[in-house]
Amino acid sequence: MNTLTKAVLALAFSAASAFAQVAVIAHKDVPLDTLNKTQLTDFYSCEMKLWDKSMPLLVVDLKLQSEAKDAFYKFLGMTASRMKSIWLKKLLMGEGVEPLVVRSEEEMLKKVATTFGALGFISSSKVTDEVKTLLLLAPTEKQP
Amino acid sequence: MNHTPQTPLKGGIEQGRKRKAATFFLRIRLAVAIFFMLCCRHAAAQTEPGGVKIFGYFQAALGHQKDVDLERELNSFTLQQLNLFLQKDLGTSWSAFINFELVNSYSSQRNWGGFSLEEAWVNYRYSNQFKLKLGLLTPAFNNLNEIKTKTPLLPYIIRPYVYESSFGETDFVPGRAFVQAYGFIPKRAAKLEYAFYIGNSPNVNTDGRRTITGVDTSRTFLFGGRIGMRYGNFKAGISATRDKLDAQALSDAFGVAPEKLKNIARLRRGADLSFSGAKWLLESEYIHLSHSFPFPQEDFDQRFFYATLGYSFSERVFGYASYWYAYANVLPIAEESFQVPTLGATYKINDMVVCKIQTANVYVDETKPKRDATYNYTYFAISVRF
Repeated sequence: MNTLTKAVLALAFSAASAFAQVAVIAHKDVPLDTLNKTQLTDFYSCEMKLWDKSMPLLVVDLKLQSEAKDAFYKFLGMTASRMKSIWLKKLLMGEGVEPLVVRSEEEMLKKVATTFGALGFISSSKVTDEVKTLLLLAPTEKQP
Repeated sequence: MNHTPQTPLKGGIEQGRKRKAATFFLRIRLAVAIFFMLCCRHAAAQTEPGGVKIFGYFQAALGHQKDVDLERELNSFTLQQLNLFLQKDLGTSWSAFINFELVNSYSSQRNWGGFSLEEAWVNYRYSNQFKLKLGLLTPAFNNLNEIKTKTPLLPYIIRPYVYESSFGETDFVPGRAFVQAYGFIPKRAAKLEYAFYIGNSPNVNTDGRRTITGVDTSRTFLFGGRIGMRYGNFKAGISATRDKLDAQALSDAFGVAPEKLKNIARLRRGADLSFSGAKWLLESEYIHLSHSFPFPQEDFDQRFFYATLGYSFSERVFGYASYWYAYANVLPIAEESFQVPTLGATYKINDMVVCKIQTANVYVDETKPKRDATYNYTYFAISVRF
């Protein structure tokens, strides 16, 4: 295979892989319509426990590694393991609870849609009108 | 077949005994049934969002200690620590938290270790800017004080000197408080943190005729706090506490009347700086402890410093190097200092089980009597959450 063919194949592969866009989703009744990065980090790291005075916040996380999960944690600027140690610290200090963990994006969508105060993330292509989209993360290249 | 006829009286007594035994066993069965029903109801409550959450951890260790100068060695297994937590949300703004702690293979039968109620508080959360803890609590002081006993959060097996319960050091950091107001104020990407608390001074009243025995705060309370800032992965702060202690027991050593050592003010000052990124971890603290002994020509200050630099080689493997230095000048009783370089690593088997290894050399320098000593500690441990 000559160099030109390799280059054409590489270009074709990268175009096919396109980009993964992740949506931060919440239960339809949450009082916010948008989130910024600082708020999202505070919500996920249990700094915030309530959406407002009466609505508790329930963070949902993906158990398994996925493109959406990688992109989400990359956006937050920390690894999933670092986030787990933050949750553990909050738990052992009596200041928080560990998030609800689901196995797939489909389960995440269902859980967020049906749980009062839930906050999660999925690939933007999977979002339905059952949930509220609070933030669209800038697209990142998929990992080969 | 030898049959002994029963008198009506004997038969009655026998029947009565049988009835009593049957009633007793029925009661036992009922009690067991009720106990299991309660247990089942309680177990179900753990999985409900509003129920009591029960969780905890323990750390078991195998240690090798060596006195290098005297060439004495000791190997020992120990259940270093077991903590059991109960936590319950009491509505959206209130929650309760209880922390039972058992240390050093606790056994009351063998007189080993200790069992204590470390924390029991109720938390009121008005907002992130203002939260309140009421009850027995571990107060905020520098970086490590609040989490010093939470072994799953720490890479160490032997914690930095002032935080290691097996060294019995209680002067450098405040152990307990009873009211703490705390929170943080967001300023763009930064967060200004604060915590202020009140607790007991360490004086203990053993005279039951004067008032109830226990900790006596009639002379002074413990006042303290921490002010800090978080910016991204950086965290820094300053801390201070003030209380008074009764040092009359030292009157002979100092050669003064006991009354002169009755109300000695104790001031702790601390500073902390830490960084926790994706791969690197830096923790450092400095603590300065001073007393208002009535001997201005003498220096009774004590100092402690530690710094740890760690690196995550992967999601599972973490390694670190740490250095501690402590200096205590309590002449004419003693003057001592020690330095501890230590290395360690952790391996995360899964989210609940972590293996740890640590080795430390302790160099002690005492002046009264003059003594230099070197000890070597090597520990393996397994830390388990449940």
